[in-house]
Amino acid sequence: MHRLKLILLFFGFVSLVSCGIEPGTIDYGKDACSFCQMNIVDNQHAAQVVTNKGKVFKYDAIECMMRDIKKKDHNSIALYLITDYSEPGKFTDAQKATYLVSANVPSPMGANLSGFSKKENASTLQQEKEGTLYSWDELKNQF
Amino acid sequence: MKIVKKYFLIFSLFCYAGLSANELTVCASCEYPTIKEAVQLAQSGDTLIIEPGTYFESDIQIEKPLTILGINYPVIDGQEKSYIINITSDSVTIKGLSLKNIGRSYTTDFAAIRTYKVKYFHFEDIKLDNPFFGFHIEKSSNGVIKNNIIRGNAVSEHNSGNGIHLWHSSKIQILNNSIENMRDGIYFEFVKHSIVRDNVSRNNIRYGLHFMFSNDDRYEKNLFEKNGAGVAVMFSKNIYMKYNTFRLNWGSASYGLLLKEINDAVITHNQFDQNTIGVNADGANRIVFENNSFNNNGWAIRFLGACYGNKILQNNFLHNALDISYKGNMNGNIFDRNFWSEYTGYDLNKDNIGDVPYRPVKLFSYVVNNTPETIILLRSLFVDIINFSEKVSPIFTPDNLKDFNPLMKPVINND
Repeated sequence: MHRLKLILLFFGFVSLVSCGIEPGTIDYGKDACSFCQMNIVDNQHAAQVVTNKGKVFKYDAIECMMRDIKKKDHNSIALYLITDYSEPGKFTDAQKATYLVSANVPSPMGANLSGFSKKENASTLQQEKEGTLYSWDELKNQF
Repeated sequence: MKIVKKYFLIFSLFCYAGLSANELTVCASCEYPTIKEAVQLAQSGDTLIIEPGTYFESDIQIEKPLTILGINYPVIDGQEKSYIINITSDSVTIKGLSLKNIGRSYTTDFAAIRTYKVKYFHFEDIKLDNPFFGFHIEKSSNGVIKNNIIRGNAVSEHNSGNGIHLWHSSKIQILNNSIENMRDGIYFEFVKHSIVRDNVSRNNIRYGLHFMFSNDDRYEKNLFEKNGAGVAVMFSKNIYMKYNTFRLNWGSASYGLLLKEINDAVITHNQFDQNTIGVNADGANRIVFENNSFNNNGWAIRFLGACYGNKILQNNFLHNALDISYKGNMNGNIFDRNFWSEYTGYDLNKDNIGDVPYRPVKLFSYVVNNTPETIILLRSLFVDIINFSEKVSPIFTPDNLKDFNPLMKPVINND
């Protein structure tokens, strides 16, 4: 009986934790961007932020996220995530990513902005398509 | 007499030029077995006749003015390698081909037919089977894209391209095409002075037609059905939208027409049937809505923030769950002489105008704006009561948000 209680307690605890802060999944083609209302379809440029309360805001482009977070309290946001351009659909930490702005790599909202988890992938594409590299802090100054 | 001679001379010169253009026939057993070879050996202004059959070719570079005519839709199979036809010359005409198996890539927008810095192109009667991008028109002008059929396979895939994709182009006519199952049916980015007419765009995962940063365009007499959203007009000016039908765009992010940061548009004689939201307007200024019909939508028109100086005149609002939802003050928006199916006033002097103004915004739509989940309460008694109480003594709706001259009969002049 005691053990059963423990197990129940354990599962209760797990379910509590799993309601916490974690990245949301984007249902491509169905979800809309929180900032510009567009349908999100591009899994190379999608982005999201997760607040401390676990609420997920989804964006169709990194530039939409950058513009939207200006209106938000920085302290209320737990996670900033972007999809990696070189690994479509895979989310990565936006604050550690490297960004490429290149007129030859269009992004959904016209900023020509793509993000990469690995800096070398960004520089490889930069050599091929030209453009400028930015870090997260430099990128924030651009918006 | 001299003048006549001179003209005769010029005329005969033209005739000669006309005759000098050769016809090159392409087929497996012909002098030219491949299209690529024929294109290379042709002179400027020649015509290639493609006999029926299947040609396994890709990256056909056209660098001189040519006419390519297919007989009975010969198939060019690109074997998923690259572009099929890549055009960098003015005055190219392509008719009657069937193109399939275009390359797919994350970094390059491969298309069945691509133009780059080209004028006076004409693409007609072309069938595209499961392309990545269909037509990719870059920095080009004065072109016609007509009577083509584009069938994609983008039901669940998001790494899909657009049917007709225009970028930095002007004076393009897109007429009578049929586009299904692509990402966007037709996509305009930095496109000016272009026309989209008589097209059918359906089952596309994002938009039937999509404008980004494009000014002075018009689209009319098109059908947009079952797309992620019918049409999105974003960051654009002077767009004319007439006689279009927006149908069955259902879903949480679905709209018949999405307006975002657009100015000075005209929206007349359109039909909005059974969309989650007929028109979703956000940052839309100086837009005239006239003679449109909104039938059986969830919302007919939803105005979000920063909408100034819009006129909503002589429209029919028939059996929508919520006719208008509104945020903020009136800011110079005018509702006048519309027909509202939920209007319950009298017309005692029989001038076809209701004697009491109609308030199109229900209190409940404010609640839904703030908490979307409450929509499940729409048909409950409580909601009816708060709507009724708001109607009797309005507290939340801006005082002047009403139609002073609601019509007693629907507007008929829809064509």
